[in-house]
Amino acid sequence: MAEETLLTDDFLRQLIHVGEVDILVGLRTHNNAKTIEPVIRAIQAGILKCFPRERSVIVNADGGSLDRTQELIVGASIDDVWSVSKVYALRTLHSISTRYAGSPEPGTALRTILAAADLLRAKACVVISPDSTTIEPDWLQRLIRPVYHDNFDLVCPIYSRQKFEGVLMQNLLYPMTRAIYGHRVREPYASEFAISGRLATDFLTRETWNDERTRIGAEICLTIAAITGNYRVCQSFLGPKAQPDRSASDLVAVMRRTVGALFTSLDSNFPLWSTIAGSQPVPTLGSQSEVMLEPVRVNRKRIREMFAIGVAELEPVLRSILSASTLSELQRIATLEVSEFNYPPDLWGKTVFEFAASYHKSVISRDHIVQALVPLYRGRTLTLLLENRDGSGEEIERKLESLCGDFERLKPYLLEVWADRK
Amino acid sequence: MSLKRQAGWYKDAIIYQVHVRSFSDSNGDGIGDFQGLAHKLDYMQELGVTAIWLMPFSPSPLRDDGYDISDYRSVHPSYGTLEDFRAFLSGAHDRGIRVIIEMVANHTSDQHPWFLESRASRDNPKRDWYVWSDTDTRYGGTRIIFLDTEMSNWAWDPISKSYYWHRFFSHQPDLNYDNPTVRDEMWNVMKFWLELGVDGFRLDAVPYLIEREGTSCENLPETHDVIRELRKKVDDQFPGAMLLAEANQWPADLRPYFGNEDEFHMAFHFPLMPRMFMGLRLEDRKPITEILQQTPEIPASCQWCLFLRNHDELTLEMVTDMERDYMYDIYARDKAMRLNLGIRRRLAPLLDNDRRRIELMNGMLMSLPGTPIIYYGDEIGMGDNIYLGDRNGVRTPMQWSGGWNGGFSTADPESLYSPPMLNPVYGYQAVNVASQKRSEHSLLSWMKHIIRIRRSSPVFGSGSIEFLYPANHRVLAYVRQLGKETVLVVNNLSSAAQAVELDLRRYRGNILIEMFGGNVFPRIGDLPYFLTIGPYQFYWFRLRRI
Repeated sequence: MAEETLLTDDFLRQLIHVGEVDILVGLRTHNNAKTIEPVIRAIQAGILKCFPRERSVIVNADGGSLDRTQELIVGASIDDVWSVSKVYALRTLHSISTRYAGSPEPGTALRTILAAADLLRAKACVVISPDSTTIEPDWLQRLIRPVYHDNFDLVCPIYSRQKFEGVLMQNLLYPMTRAIYGHRVREPYASEFAISGRLATDFLTRETWNDERTRIGAEICLTIAAITGNYRVCQSFLGPKAQPDRSASDLVAVMRRTVGALFTSLDSNFPLWSTIAGSQPVPTLGSQSEVMLEPVRVNRKRIREMFAIGVAELEPVLRSILSASTLSELQRIATLEVSEFNYPPDLWGKTVFEFAASYHKSVISRDHIVQALVPLYRGRTLTLLLENRDGSGEEIERKLESLCGDFERLKPYLLEVWADRK
Repeated sequence: MSLKRQAGWYKDAIIYQVHVRSFSDSNGDGIGDFQGLAHKLDYMQELGVTAIWLMPFSPSPLRDDGYDISDYRSVHPSYGTLEDFRAFLSGAHDRGIRVIIEMVANHTSDQHPWFLESRASRDNPKRDWYVWSDTDTRYGGTRIIFLDTEMSNWAWDPISKSYYWHRFFSHQPDLNYDNPTVRDEMWNVMKFWLELGVDGFRLDAVPYLIEREGTSCENLPETHDVIRELRKKVDDQFPGAMLLAEANQWPADLRPYFGNEDEFHMAFHFPLMPRMFMGLRLEDRKPITEILQQTPEIPASCQWCLFLRNHDELTLEMVTDMERDYMYDIYARDKAMRLNLGIRRRLAPLLDNDRRRIELMNGMLMSLPGTPIIYYGDEIGMGDNIYLGDRNGVRTPMQWSGGWNGGFSTADPESLYSPPMLNPVYGYQAVNVASQKRSEHSLLSWMKHIIRIRRSSPVFGSGSIEFLYPANHRVLAYVRQLGKETVLVVNNLSSAAQAVELDLRRYRGNILIEMFGGNVFPRIGDLPYFLTIGPYQFYWFRLRRI
């Protein structure tokens, strides 16, 4: 059920005009005028081309854009699609937009979209990132079709990535989600995904929206809710994904939103995940993950420094989070030069699990715990860069699989520290 | 009594399309006839129609349900005599009902004496009355209309050893309108019937009268010359008589057929009809508003003819491939329902016999700009028989009662021209005039009611139209206006109740009076006018400033 206060009267009026739909395409924007036009055009073309008979709507939840984002979305005409793609619209395709209350926050935006999907009884709801400038109309089909025609409840994307893109996903989110919940979902925290109406309604009605950590990490919580709720999950290959420009300072916020939410999910789901061993593949439509091997310029020395400074300066904090042996090993690694630097996967797995256990026990502020993980994550990233500098796509995949294996093997250790730590 | 031919009578008409053969059999031979039809004139008067369009009734081998004429100046013996026709015509006029007949001008039967003479030898004086060729390659750019049966527009004549041109079935050779003698003779045919008193003609297949190499042989300027010549003769000698074009074309291509009020008075709006069905099923006004936006203005004295169903298949020639696929999937899942590029079904089965949808479609038919045509039997919700060949499934006997042969004929059922509908849903025991006359709430009674309301205001026949575009796309709303009279029409195309806000500020101060029940609705103010409207419901409001 949509919460009364979530939807403004004006937005409600717009929804009444739209009426029941089969497909709802959700956008979460905040000052995206620079990129939104091609995204909207691709969405419209995708709907008209692949789902011409379905009742569809584009719903934008905006966080208070000061550029013309909202106007560009609402004003996008399907006649423009005809002139570019020669796709003819059988029926009306609405584009509506609302400014949700509060500060810009993807979780609140998602909640608004889910509420709209619930009210309009959408059979499939797909969320597209407003800065996905590499989007093709076919993405709509690849995301929606499994829900609409094959009764899947959650479709996560798989992208072709540059080998050093999506490092947080490869180093932490994927291996840990896989080890904890036993499902091999490559992008558990996705900016594009599709869900069924029933999962949307279920997720919308959960109490967890009141928890800030869950709300800001709603995407990963959604994936976990689908897995733990026995919903049918699959993955769909979309192709290349443009990496939005992010400054280094964003990393803390991103870690809070993703790792924090993942750690938080462990509390309530303990009875479930504690009994899971190993992992199962999930159905994957289209190609498997592809790695593109274009050279990337990275300042390795700077990353090593950030790791070493973090380990040194955060020693008191780390001492309260990590076991003595883990901390000691990290301190040793912090002394290594770039040429010798190596943060091995099993140590990384132990580190993450000890952080998760400490997070569970709230040994210090939970935000500080996640923040303290940031320099260590940088250290692990440096190892990844060094290991894979000349690696082929297959080699990178093999190493990722090995890392995931380490996380799965270390899961009994997580259970141990989860129970034993003070 | 002769009904005076009054200029523009067709603009406010309600036309009822009837096949003599299918309506009522007076002599018990299993085939409807003019005496039977005349007996049913009171029914048509009671229904409220103001004109009858008769399908072909001239002598014919009946290989295309009479559209293959072998004598233009007589009545097929199965339907009676010329005297019977006169009596019927007089009876109709006595009741204020006008009569429109078919003028199958493009082609004759291959059994017509003209064609028999023409094919007899290459030097026969009537040789040039038809289009002959030594090869079958001329006019190569011309499409084939009856794709399911014809491979070419040329047919080989073994007698004169040459090819003759036919746009329809090969047993229907096209007349040669480049020949002035043919044009004169066809005018003489029209004059014959006009002198008898008919009020107008539906000219069959008009775009195809003339052929020219390197063209599509459709809508050619020379075809318009032929039509203008006929129209002038009609206006000069029989003022008030009406010419209706059957030209299955896009609206922009149809516009020239009205000329400068010197060609046709009326033309069928073919592309609108499938889009009404599409809009209903999509629950979206887009297909309807789009085609009407593309419909050009026509001269003041001219009029569109609107219809939901007729004796032919629901034609899907004037839609895109995607729309055609959609229509087939939605309305003709069973391939037996499809014929050529269309769907051979009646109104009620197309709409799943859903009374609300039948009413809504008729409501739009009666309120959109044009003269509505009701196909016989659709006013009681007759069904179809897709197991009969060609388009015969929608031409079954009219169902008058639950008795013998549905009251159509006293003949043995086996001897009827077509098996009557017998199934438990649409059979004559379930669907018939007699039982529906007994109920105030029957479809027939409702049809009488809506026709009466439509006739109560000239705004529907002659008024302008302005579409409102409320944000709710499931609602089709428009304002019809003529002089000081304004009517607001609001249609809910959806199976669910809808809320809609209409921008009626320019009518501020008016109150709305619902035309079916006469109830008063709130006065229009500065705010959007808010209405809730039930599933498939529609409102007609008369605007009044009191």
